[in-house]
Amino acid sequence: MAKRKYLLGFSPTRVREPITYRMVKEFDLMLNILRAEVSERGGRLLIEIEGKPSKITSGVKYLQDKGVDVKELNEYVSKDEERCTHCGMCVSICPADAFEMDRKTFKVEFNSKKCIACGLCLDACPPNAMKLRIW
Amino acid sequence: MTAEEVVDVVRREGVEKATREVDVVTTGTFGAMCSSGAFLNFGHSEPPIKMQKVWLNDVPAYTGLAAVDAYIGATEIRENGDMDYGGANVIEELIAGSPVHLKATSYGTDCYPRRKIETYVSLKTLNQAYLYNPRNAYQNYSVATNSSDMTLYTYMGKLLPNYGNATFSCAGQLSPLLNDPQCRTIGIGTRIFLGGAEGYVAWEGTQFNTKAPTKSGVPTRSSRTLAVIGDLRDMSTDYVRALNFPRYGISLAVGIGVPIPILDEQMMKCASISDKDILAPVLDYSVQSRTRKPVKEVNYAELRSGTIELFGKKVKTSALSSYYKARQIAEKLKASIAKGDFLLTEPVKKLPEDRAFNPLEIVSKEEVK
Repeated sequence: MAKRKYLLGFSPTRVREPITYRMVKEFDLMLNILRAEVSERGGRLLIEIEGKPSKITSGVKYLQDKGVDVKELNEYVSKDEERCTHCGMCVSICPADAFEMDRKTFKVEFNSKKCIACGLCLDACPPNAMKLRIW
Repeated sequence: MTAEEVVDVVRREGVEKATREVDVVTTGTFGAMCSSGAFLNFGHSEPPIKMQKVWLNDVPAYTGLAAVDAYIGATEIRENGDMDYGGANVIEELIAGSPVHLKATSYGTDCYPRRKIETYVSLKTLNQAYLYNPRNAYQNYSVATNSSDMTLYTYMGKLLPNYGNATFSCAGQLSPLLNDPQCRTIGIGTRIFLGGAEGYVAWEGTQFNTKAPTKSGVPTRSSRTLAVIGDLRDMSTDYVRALNFPRYGISLAVGIGVPIPILDEQMMKCASISDKDILAPVLDYSVQSRTRKPVKEVNYAELRSGTIELFGKKVKTSALSSYYKARQIAEKLKASIAKGDFLLTEPVKKLPEDRAFNPLEIVSKEEVK
C-alpha cells in the first residue's frame, strides 16, 4: 500500500460531477480530503490517496482523462532553514506531529510526509520560517 | 565548560574536584526579548534638520533627543496598521547591511531650517548604532497555557484551546542568570556575548526583582533581568532575529551568553544546576489579569521532554527560546575564552540585592505614594 498526496483542479463545468467518488469506487482507493474549495474559478481538492501503487496510477489517469488537473504534491508548506531558529513553537501546534524536536541536537526536523496541510503552523512560527507552497 | 556540560562533571566528580578543574562556566540564551532597541545617529544633512518625527522603513522611531539621534524600539510597528513589520525587522536589516529608508519631519528652527528629509541609511553610514536593551535575559519565566475554548495569540505564541499546548521561554540550565542566581559575578560592566558581538551589562534590567520565591537556590518565578548594550556593527543576524507573533506584534530574538567565573565551590554548585531542579509556574493566559495564580509548577526537564501533565491530560510543550541556539552561544563563548579572544571582567558595581517589582495602581494625585 502506498500513500500519495495530490492537488486536484476542477474546471467550473466539472464541479457538479462526482468524479472523485467514481475513482475511489472503481480503483478501490482510500481517500482522505485535506482541503476543499469551490470558487468562481472552479474547484480545488487536496487529497491523500492510499492504495496499491498500480491502482493509484490508474486512478490518477482516470482523473486526467476526465479533464481534472492533477498535481502530485510533496510539500504543502516548507521550512526555510535560514529563518528557522529551532525554537520549537511549531512542535506543539502541529496536530499531525510533522515537526519533531531532536532531543540530542535540539534541532527541529520537518517531515512533510506527515503534513496534513492544515496550515496551523503558518501563523505560529515566530521567525516566519514556514512558507505556503500551494493553494 | 558550558553550563550544560558541567552538570555531568559535577555529578560524576563532585563539586570540590570540579571547582578545582573548571575556571569558567559559559551560559547562553536565545529568545524573544521585547524590551530591546537601538540608538542611532544619522549625521547632519545639508541644510541640517532637527528631526521631530522619524520613520525607518515606515516604522516610527523615537527622536525626542538631540537633532539627529533616535531610538528604534523592537516592538514598534508601522503606522498603516501593518503588524507584520516593525522595529525588530529594521534592526535585523541594519545588521544584515541592507539599506533602510529614512524619513524625518520637523518644524524648522533658525539653526535647523530643513523641515523634511527622505533618504537611505545603512550600518555603514550611521555614526553610531548600538543595541541598548532595557530588559533582557529574564531569570526564569512562566509557562503559558490556555483553558478557554478559543485560540489565543500572545507574546508566548499561539496557545491552542482547552490546554491544547503549553509554551515556555527560558534556556533553563543554560540560562545566564539561573547559573549565578544571586548575581555574585554578573554586575554592571560585565562583558558578555550579545547578538554575536561583545556586549556589556549596562544596568539592572527593568522589572528587576529579588523577591521571588526560590527552590534549589533559584527563583521559581520571573525575577532578575539585565539591561545590556553592544555595537550593532559587530553583530550577526544569526543571533539577532526579528520575530512576528501574529495578532500580538513584533519582537526581537536576542542571543546572550554570560561567562561565570568559578570563584568557589558555592559558585560551582550554582553553575551546575540542572533542568530538573529549576521550576516554573504554569499560567492560564485566558485569565486576563496580572493576579492570575499558577495552575501548577513544572520543571524544565519535564518541559523539555515534549509534554507536561495538566489536570490529568498530557499537554504538548513548545519552547519559544531556542535551546539549539543557546547551546551554540555557550559553545562559542567557551571557544573564544579558551582562545584568549574574550576576556572576563569583574563587575564595576553589583546589581541590587534588594529590589521589589511594583505594580501600577490607578490612583488620584492625593493617593499616590
